[in-house]
Amino acid sequence: MSKTAFAMLGSVALVAVLVWLMVADGASNRNAPASASTSADPASSASDGLHIYCAASNQAVLEPIRHAYEQLTGIAISVQYGPSQTLLAQSELTGRGDLYLPADESYLATASERGLVAEILPLATMQAGLVVKRGNPKGIDDLQALLADDVRLVQANPDAAAVGKITRELLTQAGTWEAVAAATTAFRGTVTEVTNDVQVGAADAGIVYDAVLHPYPDLEFVEIEALREATSKVSLGVLQSSQEPAKSLHFARFVAARDQGLKVYAEHGFRVAAGDPWAEVPELSIFAGSMLRPAIEETIVAFEEREGVLVSRVYNGCGILVAQMQAGQQPDAYFACDVEFMNQVQDIFPDPVDVSQNELVILVPKGNPRKIATLADLRQPDLRVGIGHEKQCAMGWITQNVFRESGMQRELMSNVTVQTPTGDMLVNQLRTGSLDAAVVYLSNAAGSAEHFDAVQIQGIPCSTATQPWAVAKGSHYPQLASRLFEMLISSDSQAIFTAEGFRWKKGL
Amino acid sequence: MTLQRTRFRRLRDVVFYFVVAGLSANFILLIVLLLVADLMFTSPAEFVAALKKPEIQSAFRLTMTSCSIAAVLSLWIATPLGYALARYRFPGRAVIDTIVDIPIVLPPLVLGLSLLILFHQPFPFSQWLFPGSAWRLENWLQESLGFQVTFRWPAVILAQFAVACAFAVRTMRVTFDQIDPRAEDVARTLGCTRGQAFVYVALPQAWRGMIAAGTIAWARALGEFGPILVFAGSTRFRTEVLSTTVFLELSVGQLDAAVAVSLLMVAMAIIVLVTLRWIGAGLST
Repeated sequence: MSKTAFAMLGSVALVAVLVWLMVADGASNRNAPASASTSADPASSASDGLHIYCAASNQAVLEPIRHAYEQLTGIAISVQYGPSQTLLAQSELTGRGDLYLPADESYLATASERGLVAEILPLATMQAGLVVKRGNPKGIDDLQALLADDVRLVQANPDAAAVGKITRELLTQAGTWEAVAAATTAFRGTVTEVTNDVQVGAADAGIVYDAVLHPYPDLEFVEIEALREATSKVSLGVLQSSQEPAKSLHFARFVAARDQGLKVYAEHGFRVAAGDPWAEVPELSIFAGSMLRPAIEETIVAFEEREGVLVSRVYNGCGILVAQMQAGQQPDAYFACDVEFMNQVQDIFPDPVDVSQNELVILVPKGNPRKIATLADLRQPDLRVGIGHEKQCAMGWITQNVFRESGMQRELMSNVTVQTPTGDMLVNQLRTGSLDAAVVYLSNAAGSAEHFDAVQIQGIPCSTATQPWAVAKGSHYPQLASRLFEMLISSDSQAIFTAEGFRWKKGL
Repeated sequence: MTLQRTRFRRLRDVVFYFVVAGLSANFILLIVLLLVADLMFTSPAEFVAALKKPEIQSAFRLTMTSCSIAAVLSLWIATPLGYALARYRFPGRAVIDTIVDIPIVLPPLVLGLSLLILFHQPFPFSQWLFPGSAWRLENWLQESLGFQVTFRWPAVILAQFAVACAFAVRTMRVTFDQIDPRAEDVARTLGCTRGQAFVYVALPQAWRGMIAAGTIAWARALGEFGPILVFAGSTRFRTEVLSTTVFLELSVGQLDAAVAVSLLMVAMAIIVLVTLRWIGAGLST
């Protein structure tokens, strides 16, 4: 065999051997996390792990969290590190991946605008300021000191890095940006490059985030007044492309848990958010007015499935729910039938958000046999009218207000034969023929158009109820409750509300 | 008189040697100083600590194997392509010559992005040929062959190969340009086919060039960073090579580890290049 033929065959054999080695090496690496697992959790039998796009600057924090999670669950996590913008482009082009952890939240905002991110979990904040050599040999402690001729200042590019952008915004407002930019020796691509410049002595000062300085014992962070407002958030996004959202959110909750991932973030110098405690399957409790059940039940079931959590919900008349809460029961969140019933527990729910509105109507059997056209017609002799109980539910309370506003409260009440804690009960009684009319929400009649006619109550503005949502200040899982709220105000949920006879509150 | 002229000539030779040595030393000194600066920045303990990290060991293995595969594949493509460009005049030769150079001038990150687009966006012309279809190369590879490229080791090799091969083709073309075609012509007059003339006459003369092309391809693959980062990602234990390790260590402020890995790459390059030249010298004798 000639040398040429030998070399040709040899090269083919070499490639074959190298490919085999690579495949074998890859297989052994893939098995490593699973074999290290000590968990008997069924999740550990999952065939595929999760894929995370992570900013390279977060590597030191994420690695111990990933390791702890793999030990706990046996689920393999593969992390792809790189520049945040590059990772975003990769995710968009390939349509793959489960989670995205960029250097700061601005990238997640971009990802959300492009419809790439489903959920965002807040993790920490970073404060912008100056980095100098330990001991601050040049005594740089304010913005003016940066302008001195003997100070070599390095900044992150305002068009490429979040810290540069936020610095430019703040200093432009203060009218000092031009001077600082002119005094800047170089603009770098990332905040880490700025820090490295100061570390190797190529610069005397740089503008960076405090959190990036954790691995640099020879450097010091100097907080200055001009950049006090310059903070950025670090958040974790769950990608729309995730094929297993429950598994992705399981890991995301672990990272965002105050007793797991956030502890590591705090150790690395981040100012951490108030995260939820870690739980394998957290259970969220919510109280909601009965009227809201048809509008929210489907969304809550979808939320449970997507998040892999449990939501225990209590539907009842809002007066009863308020009484239970005042007696000591405290849900994580409360969806009230009307603002009035949220106001009564304001100390527990300080920040309510109005979500929807519902209109009070007079419900009569199909064909309207008693010819009821206005509120005054409810005064007909021998008419059996049902209304909500004013103490037990918002509907009853609003009904009394409407009766009062009409100036016919006494006459109208004389025909009221039953007061119930929920509108559903009145609808059932009307259906069985034990009532001739009922004053209920329009949503109570949704889906029963073949049995009932709804008569509008004209000229009385207080006949409309507004439904607010709030998370309890003492909630065990405030972040999880907030994500449930995000799902409740999604476009899919809005469509359900509308179909059930609710009006969507403007501004959401 | 003659003695004086001879002395003067020697003096001018000495001046010439000094000028040549002085100018050459600038570059040599720069490289040596760079390495010394790196060595001073780290310590043997840090170097050893970096090498003991499992992720760096994994990156080392992947780097060695992927660079070697990319270099061999580059040679397989570059040798016939370089030969064709050097020996034949055919329509479109200038266009092909230019296309070969594109990976050399293309910004590395753009090359990676282009690979990503090629594999994940509807294949060029597929919508014209089959209206309504959106045939994607990556999907087809995965669904038909169960073979994933993006974010896996084949992407590392492909990214390295795309650049390394361009340099190898350039080297092989120069190699065949410098080999007199007369010997191949003589072989053909003695009854050899074009293929036999290529294999038995041209290739044995091109060994040194092939070793040089393989060396350049291997070295280019070793230093490749941008396309790998974009197309293959830098997932630990999966697609992380030493060049991306340096980037990752720099990104988290681990300058010592970054320098240690860089020095490891220099040591690897020296060992492999010297070995290749030694093998080349043996083969060409």
